[in-house]
Amino acid sequence: MLRTPSRRTHDAGPAAEALRLVKVTKTHGSGDGAVTALDGITLSLARGTFTAVMGPSGSGKSTLLQCAAGLDRPDSGIVLVDGTELTGSGEAELTRFRRNRVGFVFQQYNLLDTLTVAQNTVLPLRLAGRRVDRNRAREVLTAVGLGDRLGQLPGRLSGGQRQRVAIARALVTEPRVIFADEPTGALDTRSAREVLRLLQGAVRVHGRTVVMVTHDPVAASYADTVLFLADGRLAGRLPAPTADAVAERLAHLGDDVPAGV
Amino acid sequence: MLVLALRSIRTRPGRFLATLLSAFLGAALVMAFNSLHDTAGQPGVDDVSTETLTTTASVVGGYGTLLVFFAVASTLTVNVRQRSAELELLRCSGATPGQIKRMVVGEAVVVALVGTVLALGPAVLGGRALLGAFRDSGQVARSVAPAFGPVALLSGIGVTLLASAGAAFLAVRRATRRDVRRGRGRTVLAYGALVAGALSAASTYAFSATDSALMAAPAYGAILLSVGCALLAPRLLGRLLGALPLGGASGWLAVRNLRRRVDELSGILMSLVLFTAISAATVTMQSVESDAVAASGLRKSVEAKNLETLNLTVVGVIAVFVCVMLVNSLYAATTYRGSEFGRQRLAGATPGQVLGTVGVESAVLTVVGVLLGTVAALAGIVPFTMVRTDGTLPGQALGIWLAVCAVAAAVTLGTSLGTARRVLRTPAIGAVAAAV
Repeated sequence: MLRTPSRRTHDAGPAAEALRLVKVTKTHGSGDGAVTALDGITLSLARGTFTAVMGPSGSGKSTLLQCAAGLDRPDSGIVLVDGTELTGSGEAELTRFRRNRVGFVFQQYNLLDTLTVAQNTVLPLRLAGRRVDRNRAREVLTAVGLGDRLGQLPGRLSGGQRQRVAIARALVTEPRVIFADEPTGALDTRSAREVLRLLQGAVRVHGRTVVMVTHDPVAASYADTVLFLADGRLAGRLPAPTADAVAERLAHLGDDVPAGV
Repeated sequence: MLVLALRSIRTRPGRFLATLLSAFLGAALVMAFNSLHDTAGQPGVDDVSTETLTTTASVVGGYGTLLVFFAVASTLTVNVRQRSAELELLRCSGATPGQIKRMVVGEAVVVALVGTVLALGPAVLGGRALLGAFRDSGQVARSVAPAFGPVALLSGIGVTLLASAGAAFLAVRRATRRDVRRGRGRTVLAYGALVAGALSAASTYAFSATDSALMAAPAYGAILLSVGCALLAPRLLGRLLGALPLGGASGWLAVRNLRRRVDELSGILMSLVLFTAISAATVTMQSVESDAVAASGLRKSVEAKNLETLNLTVVGVIAVFVCVMLVNSLYAATTYRGSEFGRQRLAGATPGQVLGTVGVESAVLTVVGVLLGTVAALAGIVPFTMVRTDGTLPGQALGIWLAVCAVAAAVTLGTSLGTARRVLRTPAIGAVAAAV
């Protein structure tokens, strides 16, 4: 069951704190092969912020994102999205929780091949049983520069275009938090820049909160703040990052990115 | 490339289970029936026994073989289609279309051979059981000993190999060509099967009422018409989908999925149409035959009863085979959709909504499959009944048809939903990653 500590319903407006994690722990596997992916993470992200989470491979950044987004359940600790606690329950309930509060952007886009661009975009609305407005799809897709591709299938689009459809889909439900897992990982630099600007715009223009996992210092430099993660623990925080500063900080974390890039 | 083929089978045997199962069952069925030819061919078998054995082997064994051919071929087509991503990867890493073709066809041949070898034991036992049943009913002399020889072996190996290798070749050719002109050969094949089926069903009228091979022509006709209908079904499905007023997110998604996946669905539809047509046609024709024999008063009632039971058992074996193939192809097709379900779930679908979508899709498929199967079955039943008796449609047809429809619906919905439920146990994020 989903507890709402403050008795505040979702529609009463967003909480000041978009995301809060308290002592979140997650271990993959068991026995000798057990790996602690998250080791007591506590953090808080204010509404309307763009945060990048960085760290070397295996530092737990993807696990952090999945636990925070309700795709995975932490072994212990508390996750609050938009002021509401995400508690362990069935997938159906977690899905309903995510629908109205969370949007996703993945490295592999995860669009449905059988649906057109417009249908993919409004799918979350349909699944949530909300009213589907054709103009809404057009509006959101125009905002990501794909207003002329409504009827095309994702298979005919470039990687960058597909990712922009994925962003439109993440924005359409007007979620409180958008989670992006390596959104530029499969894109060329130009497409990557467009995608990052769109995410930035979602924060600055529409007041959404974006949490992005990446290992690209340039991508991270689009964020307001960078959180560094190493061995499942928070290992630093860098406000107003530049690509160079991020790269240098990463080098000190023991990453194999050479210093002074 | 054959080395690669063998390695790819060894490292992931699970993916070949569906094709292996169909090759195994198909070979067992074909060899069991065709071993009756070997039994009849032995020296010292009397004429009456020989006639009973060869008639069963040619009629039931004959259309059974045709059925196995299409069943194995459709399973293999589904298998190769599902591997398009892997084949694309091979293409990108420098494999020529010829090499990929040799690999896929090589795998198909290996799996077919393994299936046939595994089927040897069950086929020998099956042949013996058939002979035993004939001896018990008094149609074959007690002294006739079972045999398993070249006819059984060659037909078993021949059918499974030809169906597997042929289907693999055609499917991989589609998969490795980028700009295929869709459906040209398919349309030709579909109309060819329809014409051949219609001719076969019509040729029933050329037989006399008491011909022992009377059932062969309409049964072949029904199978060929089923294949033709299944190949053309996607178009019909497309038209039907336009007219369906399906509400809710699940219904909406199901209609869109079906519309885009119509080509892939024809493999499953083939199994469904074949099941409906063959079960309804053969069981109905057999009961018409039994009634006609009983009415003619040629045999004593106990013997007639024995014969009826035996023939229904033989036909039942075929019906069960097609049913297993239907389950097999549905299972394979649904298992493959794990990552698609994962993407739906990440977009906000609850497991219940995913199951709802699968349910609606299965229901639409069942309706289309049963409709086409019924048409094909009638094309066999009506000529047979007209030649064998004075009527056009036997009274028991409706009951049998309803039973077949019930089984088809139960099997289609049960297998799809059961498999989807199992597939949904993988967390969404893992299901999506598995496919990349």
